[in-house]
Amino acid sequence: MRLGIDIGGAFTDLVAVNENGSFIWVKVETTSEDPARGVMRSLEESGISADQVSVVIHGQTIGINTIVERKGAKVGLLTTKGFRDVLEIGRANRRDMYNFNYRKPEPLVPRRLRLELSERTTASGEIVTHLDPKEVEEAANYLLSHGVESIAVAFINSYINPSHEIKVGEILEGLNVKFFTLSHNISMEWREYERTSTAVVNAYIQPNMGRYLSNLEEQMRQIGFRGSLLIMTSSSGVTNLNLAKSYPVLTLESGPAAGVIAATTVAEAVGVRNIIALDGGSTTTKASLVRDLSPKVITDYYVNRDKFHAGIPVKIPTVDIVEVGNGGTSYAWTDEVNDLKVGPRAAGSRPGPACYGRGGTEPTVTDAYVVTGILNTKWLLGGKLPINQALAKRSVEELGRKLGTSVEETAEGIIMLANENAVNVIRLVSVQRGEDPRDYVLIAYGGSGPMFAPFIAKELEIGKVLVPFIPPGVFSAWGMIVSPLRRDMIVTHTIRLSKEGAMDEAESIFRGLEEKLIREFSFPEALLVRSVDARYYGQEHTVTVPAPKDMTGQGIEELIKAFHSSHERTYGFKMEGDIEIVNFRVTGLVRMKTKLPKLENREVKMKQEFRKVSLRGEEDEWPVIQRSSLGIGAKLRGPVIVEDPSATILALKGQTLTVDDLGNLVIEQ
Amino acid sequence: MTNRFTLEVISNALINAAEEMFYAFGRTAKSPVIYEVLDYAVGLTDSQGKLIAQAPGVPGFSGVLDFVALEVLQKFRDLQPGDLVISNVPYGSGTHLNDVALTAPVFVKDRLLGLVVNKGHWSEVGGMHFGSWTSDATEIFQEGLQLPAVLLYKEGKINKDLMEVIRYNSRLPDAILGDMEAQVASMGVAARRLTSLVEKYGEETVREAMEKILRDGETRSLRAINSLPKGEFKAEDYIDDDGVSEEPVKVVVKVNITDSSFTADFTGSSKQVKGPINSPFPATVSAVREVFMAAVDPHAEPNAGFFSPLNVIAPLGSIFNPVRPAPTSTYWESMSYATDLVWKALAPQLKGRLPAGHFLSILATILGGVDDRTGEPYAIVEPQPGGWGASSFQDGESALVASGDGETYMASAEVYERRMPIMVERCELNIEDGSGAGEFRGGFGVIRKYKVLSREAYFTVSIGRSKFPTWGVENGEGGTPNYCVVERDGKTERVRKVAAMRLNRGDSVTLRSGGGGGWGDPRTRDPLKVLQDVLNGYISKAIAKEKYGVVIEGDSVNWTETAKLRGGLK
Repeated sequence: MRLGIDIGGAFTDLVAVNENGSFIWVKVETTSEDPARGVMRSLEESGISADQVSVVIHGQTIGINTIVERKGAKVGLLTTKGFRDVLEIGRANRRDMYNFNYRKPEPLVPRRLRLELSERTTASGEIVTHLDPKEVEEAANYLLSHGVESIAVAFINSYINPSHEIKVGEILEGLNVKFFTLSHNISMEWREYERTSTAVVNAYIQPNMGRYLSNLEEQMRQIGFRGSLLIMTSSSGVTNLNLAKSYPVLTLESGPAAGVIAATTVAEAVGVRNIIALDGGSTTTKASLVRDLSPKVITDYYVNRDKFHAGIPVKIPTVDIVEVGNGGTSYAWTDEVNDLKVGPRAAGSRPGPACYGRGGTEPTVTDAYVVTGILNTKWLLGGKLPINQALAKRSVEELGRKLGTSVEETAEGIIMLANENAVNVIRLVSVQRGEDPRDYVLIAYGGSGPMFAPFIAKELEIGKVLVPFIPPGVFSAWGMIVSPLRRDMIVTHTIRLSKEGAMDEAESIFRGLEEKLIREFSFPEALLVRSVDARYYGQEHTVTVPAPKDMTGQGIEELIKAFHSSHERTYGFKMEGDIEIVNFRVTGLVRMKTKLPKLENREVKMKQEFRKVSLRGEEDEWPVIQRSSLGIGAKLRGPVIVEDPSATILALKGQTLTVDDLGNLVIEQ
Repeated sequence: MTNRFTLEVISNALINAAEEMFYAFGRTAKSPVIYEVLDYAVGLTDSQGKLIAQAPGVPGFSGVLDFVALEVLQKFRDLQPGDLVISNVPYGSGTHLNDVALTAPVFVKDRLLGLVVNKGHWSEVGGMHFGSWTSDATEIFQEGLQLPAVLLYKEGKINKDLMEVIRYNSRLPDAILGDMEAQVASMGVAARRLTSLVEKYGEETVREAMEKILRDGETRSLRAINSLPKGEFKAEDYIDDDGVSEEPVKVVVKVNITDSSFTADFTGSSKQVKGPINSPFPATVSAVREVFMAAVDPHAEPNAGFFSPLNVIAPLGSIFNPVRPAPTSTYWESMSYATDLVWKALAPQLKGRLPAGHFLSILATILGGVDDRTGEPYAIVEPQPGGWGASSFQDGESALVASGDGETYMASAEVYERRMPIMVERCELNIEDGSGAGEFRGGFGVIRKYKVLSREAYFTVSIGRSKFPTWGVENGEGGTPNYCVVERDGKTERVRKVAAMRLNRGDSVTLRSGGGGGWGDPRTRDPLKVLQDVLNGYISKAIAKEKYGVVIEGDSVNWTETAKLRGGLK
């Protein structure tokens, strides 16, 4: 039996799939003071016996929380002479440009713990100033004597020749330094600020994450678990425990990445290749565009970046996901000129929306849906969460008084603006990147995704929405089970294709990368996939295109053709002239042999009730159906509400809802 | 009446349309000055040329679009669908000749709904030097091709003759025409969005949403102005020189805030000067809008409604409102003073909003030559970051781009070294020159040192606030100067303005930007903060003692000695 366990902000989700395809899921509250406790509780509640489990794949938010809450280790940084302040200078951009009191993120290493070493490698990899081992030892001892627990090492041009970083690593090992991070081991891409930052982030979270993972493994062993514990990463793949302990920075966005893989898996099963994954959570909405069943994995990721904050760069392979602060528990409020706004502040699970009756009084998106009657007015989560419609009404009414609108109008206004926020995030991943959302199927999951999706589809004229047959509220945990084992290696090496011997050089770079990957990845059966980031010589923008098995052969023509057309699609033009490879990428993949689970116990007899829903100034009786009572092939005409224990699904007037062969709900217009 | 929430949704969509145009242009442009430096701005106006929404890449471009729209509407009374106007003349509607604006009308049937404007920096528009902008021009005719609002497209057909003229007047015709194509395409993105809004919600509702944007902007602005201190506030300063002489240039402002208006009057500032630092009136207005946003509401949507209480006065023929044939190609040197003067006048009044002065100068740098290994030309073209001022509650930030720049990224040393025969020997905070001391101290500038590895190279730099460093507030110390050190043939020389200086292999240039001004008396700074600064190497023990009156011994504060030094001085 394979388990996916996903720790999120509010809930820890467990999903189990048996060899014969049977399916179990559990949702328990996250215990943020000791996250392992929530994980153990989810195991307990599932009733699964630990010795029956062959693999556990685990995703978590401990790494990211450690950074956001600034609770990481005391880190020291060793860097090249002349570059002590790289971390503090950053890129010098003023993201909040009219705010003259703008601050960059506080560096994770204070200046006194950033030490320079006399050493220098040039951009061609030549060493012009040799490292002095004695100086390294002195620097390390200085840091240790100042209470440093974890050391990051980032030298200029180490992406092209890491020998000095390696040497420092050996010396630190000799000094019995337990936690140290060499920048080239995590990122072999150029740009010193971003690579240094990535190494520092890893050093910052490593002790914490290491302790957590060891502790969790031990607790699981104690209850009889004998299988392997694998760790979900941000790249939409899974890695082994040791690698995760050494490079926990690989796992920062594990939950969202798993959601995208889950959506891709469902798309493949129903024969769709181009999708937009829409993850509607409790405080955010996330979207990711997937072409040709390949999630886009990029290394431009930032922690805590938004419209007004530069964030901390982390050059780790991460699924390209865009998010907005707009979810089920986002607050509705009025600004200085009395205009209605939704988000980014949210109630979360404590105090929660007003209708939870846990003391929240400000109206949220959930309250608005409860007022309209679209959400169940008595309970949610299959009865686990009681709902107080009167409290929802009171909170929305209060806001309406300020706006001069009735409670129904106000609720609808909130829904409209929340949907618009969600529409906007879809536009960000499609229209703003030159893609037409109408060419994609929208796959909606998360607690609020399936509720937002029909409105979004209407607004953007997306023909088809699919709500997966897996319960939408635990979709990401299931994604962990179906994610492949994956390891990415990316190295910057600029080569112009027209240069003499370029292909031989390119081929040898690829081979070197592949050898390194196999050595670290320890799965000899892995499928190796090559690609390059390339651009027109003299231009800056790159596109990623597949590269042939042999760069010196005919396959290179394919690469060139793919480059031109991809460039034209992304940037609107192609041109004559030389092409330059900037980054070489190799991805090692081992696909999981997993069967899609069968969800059992469908009552084929459809139970139907009616609920009063007021929308667009009209009050109507909408049919309400329990998802478990919908059989394969069922076809309904909107408006209709389908209730699933983990989410509420809608089809609007003019839309139809059908149940496909797998049990997915397909909403079309 | 249309549902108020529908209007809200349409308003957001209009702002969104400007943003989509912004990204479309950035994504498809061919020149780094567009997609890396973001030296462009796009926006929509209503049918009268009033700014509805804009997306500027840099705050220095906050005010240039509506001047363009108004000029087009005045000159072309009979615009037709498919028309597109091109313009770049500074005095009435522009900045410098490199910034080329395209304007297109959007119609519903035969009724004008609004204008779409896209103004971007073209890398090369001719003139006396490569790149068109230069620190030694004395007439606009030396600065490139002038395009006085003429039709580039007439009813959808491109004017090929005009294209030919442009092509013949640029040293980089392919790059700029490629950018122009991207500019036109991005305008189509916004126009289509507007049209689809009309199809969905109806013409009247879209017009109503435009009015609502302006009304809300004005309400927001008036409310914020109402909370500002009222009265007249003055400031004066000196610009180092005009680029072609050594004479300092005097500039002044009188800011007058009433219950419902905010006026910046630059009367009394120098007449227009011989060199190219003249700031055309639209640039001056942009500069004031920028600090107006900072002072009033940094997160407001900039539109004509929001700016309606703002008046800018600058006499014709002055450095802030020059007339033909004044050169303007390094206009930003004076323009940033327009921002800074208003800022300086108001900072003591607006605690918490406006900090002390910052390093101000863009330190525009060009270092280039031919790479001996490939025979190909190379060039670094970049602004330098520097130190910002302290405010009444926090230290100034170190190493940020100047106020006229925004989401502008400093380039990576590794990228430079890989691409060019350059070695970056230092990239660190400019601790050596320090920053303004204060209860809260200024942020630090940077030191960037480039060593030339090619046989020869040419170096151009334009640095301001080198003679007159920036200012502190409430007894906070002023900042430190910006300058550059050239090491050439074994000799070391301090410079601030250089045009095409020849360097040889092994020579180097070190750009040193200044620190920001301090806020409050340094002797009231928390001694523990002074200790942290010493431990982190931001200040020396000597400075801690001299300027802050704090005695540091080992890793701690000697409280007795400190009390003696500070005694009675609090």
